[in-house]
This record gives sequence, structure tokens and C-alpha cells, in this order.
Amino acid sequence: MDLSGLKDKLSYVRKVNDNIAIGALTTPEDLAETFLHKDKKYLGFYDIYKKFASPILKPLATIGGNIGVAVSASDYLTFLLTLNAKVKLVSVEGERLVSLEELVVEKRTLAKDPNELIYEIIFPELPENYSTAFMKIDRREVIVTGYITTAVCLKIENNKIADVRIAFDRVNKRIPSRAKKTEEFLKGKEFSVDIIREAYNKVLPAEMVRKSDFRASGEYRLDLSKVLMKRTLLQAKSRIVEGV
Amino acid sequence: MALPTAEYVKIVEELFEKVKKFTYVGKHMQRWDAIEKILGKTRFTADYANLYRNLVYVYSVRAKYAHAKIRKIDVSEAEKVSGVLKVITHKDVPGVNDVGYVIPDQPLLAYSKVRYIGDIVALIVAEDPYIAEEAGEKVYVDYEPLPVIIDPLEIVDPITLEEKKHVLIHDERESDIVARYRIRTGDVKKGFDQASVIVENEYRTQYAEHAYMEPEAALAIPEPDGGITIIASTQCPYEARRAISKVLGMPFNKVRVVVPPLGGGFGGKEDVANEIGAKAALATLLTGRPAIAVHTREESIIGHSKRHPAIMWYKHGASRDGKLVAVEARIILDTGAYASLGPFVAWRATVHSVGPYKVPNAKVDTVAVYTNGIYAGAFRGFGNPQIHFAIEQQMDLLAEELDIDPVEFRLKNILRNGDRTVHGQLLDHGVGLEGALVKAAKIANWYRKRAEYAKQTGTIRKGIGAALLWHGNSIGAEGADYSAVSIIINRDGSVTFRTGLTDFGQGAIQGLIMLAAEILGVPPEYFRVEMPDTASVPDAGPTVASRTTAMGGNATLVAAYKLRKKLNEVAADMLKCSPDDIEIKAPEVYCRSDPARKIRWIDLIEECFWKGISLQEYGYYRAPKARWDDETGHGEPYFTYTFGAIIAEVVVDMETGKTYVERMVTAYDIGRVVNRVGAELHAEGGAIQGLGYALMEEIVHSPEGKVWNPNLYAYYIPTILDIPKEIIPIFVEAGYIRGPFGAKGLGEPSINGIAPAIANAIANAVGVRIKSLPMTPEKVYLELKRKGLIKL
Amino acid sequence: MSTEEYPEIEITLNVNGKDYTVKVKPYERLLDVLRYKLGLSSVKEGCGRGECGTCAVIMDGKLIASCLVLAIQARGKKILTLEGLAPPGKLHAIQKALLDTYAMQCGFCFPGVIMAMKSLLDRNPNPTEDEIREALSGNLCRCGSYLRFIKAAKLAAEYIRKGQVYFEFKG
Ligand SMILES: Cc1cc2nc3c(=O)[nH]c(=O)nc-3n(C[C@H](O)[C@H](O)[C@H](O)COP(=O)(O)OP(=O)(O)OC[C@H]3O[C@@H](n4cnc5c(N)ncnc54)[C@H](O)[C@@H]3O)c2cc1C
Ligand code: FES
Ligand code: FES
Repeated sequence: MDLSGLKDKLSYVRKVNDNIAIGALTTPEDLAETFLHKDKKYLGFYDIYKKFASPILKPLATIGGNIGVAVSASDYLTFLLTLNAKVKLVSVEGERLVSLEELVVEKRTLAKDPNELIYEIIFPELPENYSTAFMKIDRREVIVTGYITTAVCLKIENNKIADVRIAFDRVNKRIPSRAKKTEEFLKGKEFSVDIIREAYNKVLPAEMVRKSDFRASGEYRLDLSKVLMKRTLLQAKSRIVEGV
Repeated sequence: MALPTAEYVKIVEELFEKVKKFTYVGKHMQRWDAIEKILGKTRFTADYANLYRNLVYVYSVRAKYAHAKIRKIDVSEAEKVSGVLKVITHKDVPGVNDVGYVIPDQPLLAYSKVRYIGDIVALIVAEDPYIAEEAGEKVYVDYEPLPVIIDPLEIVDPITLEEKKHVLIHDERESDIVARYRIRTGDVKKGFDQASVIVENEYRTQYAEHAYMEPEAALAIPEPDGGITIIASTQCPYEARRAISKVLGMPFNKVRVVVPPLGGGFGGKEDVANEIGAKAALATLLTGRPAIAVHTREESIIGHSKRHPAIMWYKHGASRDGKLVAVEARIILDTGAYASLGPFVAWRATVHSVGPYKVPNAKVDTVAVYTNGIYAGAFRGFGNPQIHFAIEQQMDLLAEELDIDPVEFRLKNILRNGDRTVHGQLLDHGVGLEGALVKAAKIANWYRKRAEYAKQTGTIRKGIGAALLWHGNSIGAEGADYSAVSIIINRDGSVTFRTGLTDFGQGAIQGLIMLAAEILGVPPEYFRVEMPDTASVPDAGPTVASRTTAMGGNATLVAAYKLRKKLNEVAADMLKCSPDDIEIKAPEVYCRSDPARKIRWIDLIEECFWKGISLQEYGYYRAPKARWDDETGHGEPYFTYTFGAIIAEVVVDMETGKTYVERMVTAYDIGRVVNRVGAELHAEGGAIQGLGYALMEEIVHSPEGKVWNPNLYAYYIPTILDIPKEIIPIFVEAGYIRGPFGAKGLGEPSINGIAPAIANAIANAVGVRIKSLPMTPEKVYLELKRKGLIKL
Repeated sequence: MSTEEYPEIEITLNVNGKDYTVKVKPYERLLDVLRYKLGLSSVKEGCGRGECGTCAVIMDGKLIASCLVLAIQARGKKILTLEGLAPPGKLHAIQKALLDTYAMQCGFCFPGVIMAMKSLLDRNPNPTEDEIREALSGNLCRCGSYLRFIKAAKLAAEYIRKGQVYFEFKG
């Protein structure tokens, strides 16, 4: 599907009511020009940008395509799950809004009609004491899938974890998803490394199934998920509390 | 072989003794081709497509199985595709259907069986590359799959190194053992009896890929007399000509090979260049049209030789006072589906197998075996990166057992002038290893940092590690070791330089120009380097084995020396002084004793022309003969060795296991620095390639023999974000009498010591030793976890 | 549908300041058009999959992989390749700086690297080392001239800041 003719029309980041809408043909390079890369609440976008493919892809890849391919290496997809994003689908029959989580059902499989177009991605604006982070680690720094990736959206109130959403490239399916049990465990607790440790040692392994392939073992991937979960949470917290 | 009395030997030795001051040699100079390259005008092989009309495209149909019998190949459907001119199979090969390098074991077009996933069963020749690829899908091959062997330990027993019972890959050879070599020095049993510490370990290294940026390409052009010209991305024009002639069944003089600049080679563009050259040439022969073959990246990775994976078992013994007393080793090299240069790689690995140390007792056995993996061949280092990874970690482990600093321990054991190698070869001069190590340690602040890093806590830790290396120059006992150049001074005073040595980025040809310029007294700008072309340049032997500066350099000295002699005589006649008194500093020529007596360079050349003095000289040099006893591994395997010391500093993140190399100091004894820019770039480039080899690179086969990562996305080579902040190159010039002004090679040695230095630095940082390459974050982390050094 | 059944489409694009109208098949890439239809062979194909950066050119002011753009997507775009970097007979400051730092090895990655530096310096006249590394991170150089690229980018930035954009050269 060549949508490049619609490029100008579908490349935007807008605030609509209390939501933020990103046009499906917006590229990482386009995002970099917007407030999403500056507002400390949304720095997860900046984190992805830094690790996304390489400079020669950033003006070409689209966020709609990133969801469209629907693979565990779709970094925006992973991150948008923590923002409770919805997707506006458009076809000749009309348009509808579905949650991203429901749209992406399996690897390379979207719960939509082939003639439905991803038009835009919408997510609620984050209130002040929220922030986000994304991390990816691999043998080299860029042009990598990542052994694993982790995205978080965190709300801190009086050093309490008032709200938290954690997504990984994979939890127990071959697509990005949320680690909801781990989130539940953390919610309402005092923010500390100890509590994060407890969450990733006791709860996360119960909901995460990591597979081995030629690049890494399941054991390493699970342990790395713990490390990046800790680091993204610390990063998000620092962004909320320290502003960096 | 070089008779000590041969004129060319005398010339090289005389110049080594006499000339100690240089105008160009050792200076920072711009490469001869830098401008055209920086303008983007340089034509690499595939770029020639723009210069030919009526091209046809060659697409290779490759195996579906890594090991299978071929019952039938049916190309009838493919032939029907419109736009397809010809489908070529083994039946169409007019000459010998073989492109094996050392052993004739590799068909160009498979017929009775396929032995790995890159084997080619048919070639589609079509009007358009996309059509050719499409038609490729319509070639039907009836295969009878055979068991696929990826693990070399299914071929040989790791203890006895005897061949095991298995389904033969090369049934026609009746064995899947490709080569065996050994060293027997002293008595290892006695040696180990004297040892107060013994360390014994197994090390493994991986399949590694050259990943030169330019994929292979060849373009063939029909000649009016029935001959064929092939423009090819090859390191070795004369070798390619031999191989292509054999396939075409044509005499050498009807096959012409022209070699444009290469976008990298690193040893990889040898066999595969013969193969792709032969493919294009066959297409031209059978269609009468110019034909181009360009490999995609995937084909390149699947279809060309790799660095041999190795399994190495090493046992080292040292006395209480820190002297090596015995080394025992078994080395298994996996050469994949075809021998390629495997036998030579195995030999080089054996020769260097105890490292640059004095070892009184040694017992080494090496075996190279076939598997159904991608064939392995030449790759920068040629067996040495593998064995150094093992030896240099063993040295650190011994030092640790003895509680001696690793640098100090090495200093007790290294080869110095007057020592004999494990093969009994006397190194009476030109051994600069001690200087290299001492300098590197000083610049890296070795002792201070070792002490400092011992006190670290936390999960991010620094480490510093050292490794030594050696590397025999040129091809040694592998074959006829000669080189040649011709230098022509044109009537306008400009100079034409011709050699069959090629440039794949390494810049060694620049060194040759600097040598010629030094002797002739004309600036390098006067030179034009002609493109290697078997129709004009002399056969200079292959451009491999770090031999261009040393061997090509000697040939250059010989040619330039002969020219200079003639020039001096004619100038002396013109200036009425003695030939020894002539100074050439083009554009001027004068008497050293009376600089006012002078003529112009151009006038000198004109005078030579009228006097009938030919200013076209050929320089030839043949290396001193190498000796090797197959039973004992004794002799003089290489005429000289390059030595080096590497110090690497790393930061290790213990929670992820990821290693970042912050800084490297690389010190090399290369006898004499000729092309200084080239030497520095090798120190840097070799270090970066070595870093990739150490930490991230690995070609992985599935159990069925498919390649999991035939791309640059999952075959990780370092990006600019992965490399150190600093690489500090240091050169020691110990001078070797039979090198040009003392010079030795650096092309390959620059990768040998990198991985072990990084391994030793990781061990220093976090206390775990990674004995297999690549040292991925996963391996480091899991080792830390296993040892209880990290807890999440 | 097989390749030959695709109709050719006429597109116009502006390359190095000149308009070109070419006929392309719908599956042809911008890379093919630049290399083989316009003869701009500085644009290299190292992988054809966006992984190596040897095909990088600047399209409408952005550094892109020309192997991942279909020719028809480049319709009406402005493209800059290495051939158009400096006026004939001159070197651009980036080229000069790469020579000054003796960065050249095989040179196959250079056209892409130079375009990446150009794209960086157009946006950022005084980049830090980290910014340079990031900007060049999509350009693989197997010969390993990376450290020189960093020095060269800094030097080129300095030249340009001083107003020295083009240089005369010999040869
Ligand atoms: C070298 C390299 C590195 C990469 N690195 C990364 C990385 O670090 N992180 C990462 O996340 N991805 C990475 N990718 C993957 C890829 O670039 C992204 O997934 C990208 O966002 C895809 O966007 P596109 O516009 O190119 O989509 P396309 O490839 O054009 O489309 C992808 C799929 O989505 C469908 N699609 C596209 N747009 C829509 C739409 N609007 N509505 C409905 N369906 C649509 C298409 O039909 C197709 O099936 C990398 C790719 C390469 C080649
Ligand atoms: S050829 Fe386009 S990125 Fe490699
Ligand atoms: S100079 Fe050879 S790849 Fe960069």
C-alpha cells in the first residue's frame, strides 16, 4: 500500500480536547520536531527516536506502518500501549476507534478489515506528575531489534506509584504487550528499588514467558526485562521528580 | 627462492643498510586515489554497468538444502520466461566445473550433490535483473536430502582428533578431514612435570563474516577474438584469471581480468571473486553479450568464505618463577562445505599456536574438517585471531595463578633478538616485541589502572587487559612467494606504476609509490597507478597475507633502484660529475657536491630517450625459501614476523553484561613505517573490526544448515556508536633486513590481538572469563550470574 | 503478475538542481533511478535493505536510504547526491576535511557518509562528538574510519562557520 500521496495530510501531532492525536504517516523525524520530544512527560518518544533504526530510516518509517507491521520489534507500538492509545481506522464504510491493545492480536495480524486504513493514533494527555521512558538493549547501539525492549508510563504522587503501565516487546505472545500483573502489584506502593525488585522477581516471571532464539536465551531475556523495567521506571521517576 | 646472491636480494639488503633518512617514507601522505574517491567518481565494479549497453544479468539459483543429492535439475520452465536468454547448468560448462582454491573440491555449478546452502545449481541469464530472479523460482531440482552436519565434533573426536563415522560430505574424497598439521618440540610430558602451575581450558570462536561494504560483482565483455575480459571485484587478478580460464576451457592469454578499486576485501574477495567472475564469463560466452553479476547482501553473506570457527583445547605449564615450560594444544577448524584456503589457514594457525613466546616443550595438533556450513577461507588474520584468543587468555590465567602482573609475566617469556621460535627458527634481529609491550603499557598507564580497578564496587566496572600477537609475513611455506612491479618513466617525466597487487582500501599501493618516489627522487604526485589488468600489469602474486608492503615493496625497490642507476649514469654524463654524486629532487637534478650544477628532470628523461636508455623497468622479488617439516613442525615457516601488543580498556555493565570498549592502545613492530597514514588506519580499522569480532559478530546456522542472519541487521558489525573514544596507534621499527627499508606487514596482524585483549579486560573488570566468541552481553551476564557475582 | 506486465510510469524529479523526467516501473527504487537511469554512481548499494547507509542521499532536506524509497515516491522531490555537493572543480568543506584527516580507505561508504555529514551540518553548524556519532550511526564503515569521521565533521563545521564552504583542489 503506497500512501505517500497522503503524506502531508496524515503527518501531524495535534492536541484535541484532552487527547493527543498523531497522524498515521508521521515519521520519527516528524515527531522530533514536535512538543512530544520536549515535554518531559513524553520523553519516551525521544528515547525511541534515539534507538530507532538509524538516521536514514527516521524520515521514512511511519508510525502507522510501525503498528501495521505488528511485530515485537515495533517500538512505537510497544510504547503506545503504555499510553492507552486508540487507533482511528478509516474505510469507505466510515471510521471507528479501537484500542491499540485490541487491534493488534497476533504477530503481523490486526483485527481490522484489509481495506481499513490506520488514520491516526489517539491517546489521553498525561497530567503533570506523569512521565514515560523507553529502553532497548542489544549487542550494538543502533540498527537493532533489541534483545528486549521496555516502555513505561508512570505517575508519582508523594513518592507513591499512583499509576503505572509497563509494556515489553513480548510478555507471553509474539507481539508487544503490557505486564498487567506486575503493574497491579506496583500500583499504590511507595516507589523504591526494593519494591521494583520485588515486582520483577515475584510477579513479572509469573506472567512473562521468554523464548530462546539464535540471538539470545529466554533466561537472559527474562533477566534483562527485569533490569530494563527497573531502569525505565527509575528514568521515568527522575523525569517526574527531577525534570530530567 | 631467493638465492642470497640474487641481484634483487642484494639491492634490498643494500638499501636497508644504507638509507636511514627519508623524504617520503614514514610521512603522512594523501593516498593517490583520495581525490577521485572523495568526489564519488571512483568506479567500483558494479558502477561499470553504466558504461555498457546491451547488458545481460546473471542470477544464481542456490540450493534448497544444505546437504542433499541432486537427482534431477529441470530448467525448462525457467527457460520459457520471456526475457530469459539462457539457463546455465553444470552441463554447459565448457572447461572444468570447479572453483576450489587449494583443493579441487568445489563445483561452480552443483551436479551430483549440494553441500551447503550457498551452492549454485543454475544460472539464469536474462535481460533484466528482476526477471532473472523471477525465473530462478522456476528451476526445479529434485533433491534427496542427506543428514546435515553443522557441528565439527560430529566429524572428529575432540580428544583423539580421529575422524568419526558419519555420512560423508565429500564422499568423492572418502574423508571429511581436509588437513592436519602438528608441532613436536622438546618433551611436553617432562615439561609439565617441571611446571608448578598448569592451566587447561577449551576456547571456541565463531563463524565470522567480512561484511565489506561492496558486495561482490563482476562484468564480462566479449572480445572480437573470442576471448573474454572480466572486470571483477577481486583481490587477485592472476588467480582469478587462472580460475576463470579453467572453467571456460580457454588459454590464460584469452582471458583478461581487470580489477577496479574494491570496496573492501579483508581476504574475502579471493575465491568468491573467481566464482562470480566465472559466472559472468560463462554468461558472456554462452550469449555473446556483456554480462553482469552482482551479489545481493544476502547472497554475499551466504555465498562467500567465512572466518573458520575454531574449537581449541589448550594446556599451559609454567614454573614458579614465571617461565613457560610446556604448551599442549589441539585445534579443530571448521572449514565448512569446501576447503577454500582452509588448509593454509590451519597451517598458519599451527605455526603461531604457542604465541610469540619462548616455549621449550610443545605438542600441537591441528585438524581442519568439512561440515555443511558456509565454506570458510581467508579473512584478515587467517587463523591467528582464533588461536590468539586462546593463548592470550591462557597467559593471563597463568599470571593470575602465579600472582604475577600479566605484563610482567609476558616480559619473562617473549621472543627477543637471538631467541629461537618453537619451530627452532633463529630470530637474530628485527624482533621489536618488548619495545611494543613496554611502550603500550606506559601509554595506557597500565600499572596505575590495574591497581585502581582492583578496588571497584558497584555494577558498572572498568577493566584493562593486554594481549600480545605475532604474525608471519607473506605466504611462507604455502606456495611460491614472489612479487613484481613495473615502473615506466614516460617521456614527459611522469611515472606509470603497474602491479598486479590490488587495492581494497588498505592503501598499500600508496606505500609502494612512496618507496619508488624515495628511490627515484620524484614526488609521489608524478605517479599514476594503473588499474590492475592482466593485459598489462605484471603478475605480482596474490594480494593477501599482509604481503603488499613487504613483498611488493621489495619488488618496487628493485625496479626503482635499477631505474635510478641508469638515471644517475646519464645525469653524471650530462653534469660531468660522478654517478654517486647525483641528487634527484624532481623537477631538479644536480650534483650533491655542487648544487649549482643542475639540469631539469625532464631534460634528463629526454636525454635517456635519445641515448636509447630504456626507462621501463621491471622489479621482481622472491622471498627467502620457507622451510617446514611436516612431522615436527620445525623449520623457518615465515621469513619474518610482525609483532604487537594491545591494551584494551573496557566498561562492563554487570546487570546487562554489556561491554563497552573505551580505549585501545595498539603497538606494532612493523619493522619500518612506510605509509604512515595506512599504518594508522590499519591500527584503527583492525581494532574496530576486532572489536566486532570480540563482542558482537557471529554467523549462525540453523540445524538444517540455513543461515539465520544473512544481513547486516542481525549480523552485527560495529557502528560509529559502538567504537572506542580513542584508539592510540604506536609503531616500533625494529627493522628487518629483507623488508623494504626494514618494513614488515600490518594488514592482518592488526586484528589478531584485539579480542583477547578485550577478554582480559573483561576479566579484570568483573572477574569472569569468557572463553567463547563473541563475548555477548548474554555470555558475560550469565557467567556473572552463575558465579553469584550479580543478583537482580 | 510478473515483472514485465507492470506498466512504466513517467515521473519528474529534481536531482542536484536539475529536473529529470524518467520512465520507471512501479517496483523500481529511487536507488535504481539514480544509479542506472541518471548514472549517478556515487550512490552505492551495500545492502538494499536500509541497513548500511551506502545509498544515503538527501531528499527534500532529509537524509534517507534511497534503497527504501520507490522511484514513484520520489516524484516531484528534490534530491542531492554527492555529485551535486560542490560546483564542478571544487571540493566541499566536508570533502576537504575528510582529506585533511586522512580518512580515506576503500571509500565505498564515503558518499553516504558525506551526505550524512552534510545533513548534520545543515541542521547543526557546531555539532558535539555525540551529535556527530548519532548523525553517522546509519553509515557502516567496515574499514573502520569512524574516528576520522568524527574529526572530519568537526573540522568541516569549523570551515563552514568561517565561511569556507568550497575549496580549490589539484588533480
Ligand atoms: C534497518 C531497519 C531498522 C529498523 N529499526 C527499527 C526500530 O529500531 N524500531 C522499530 O520500531 N522499527 C524498526 N524498523 C521497522 C520499520 O521501519 C518500522 O516498523 C516502520 O515504522 C514501518 O513504517 P513504514 O511506513 O515503512 O511501513 P510499511 O513498511 O510501508 O508498512 C508496514 C505494514 O503496515 C501496513 N501499513 C502501513 N501504513 C498503514 C496505514 N496507515 N494503515 C494500515 N496499514 C498500514 C503496510 O501495508 C504494511 O503491511 C526497522 C526497519 C529497518 C529496515
Ligand atoms: S543500500 Fe540502502 S541502506 Fe544499504
Ligand atoms: S572506507 Fe571502506 S567502508 Fe568505509
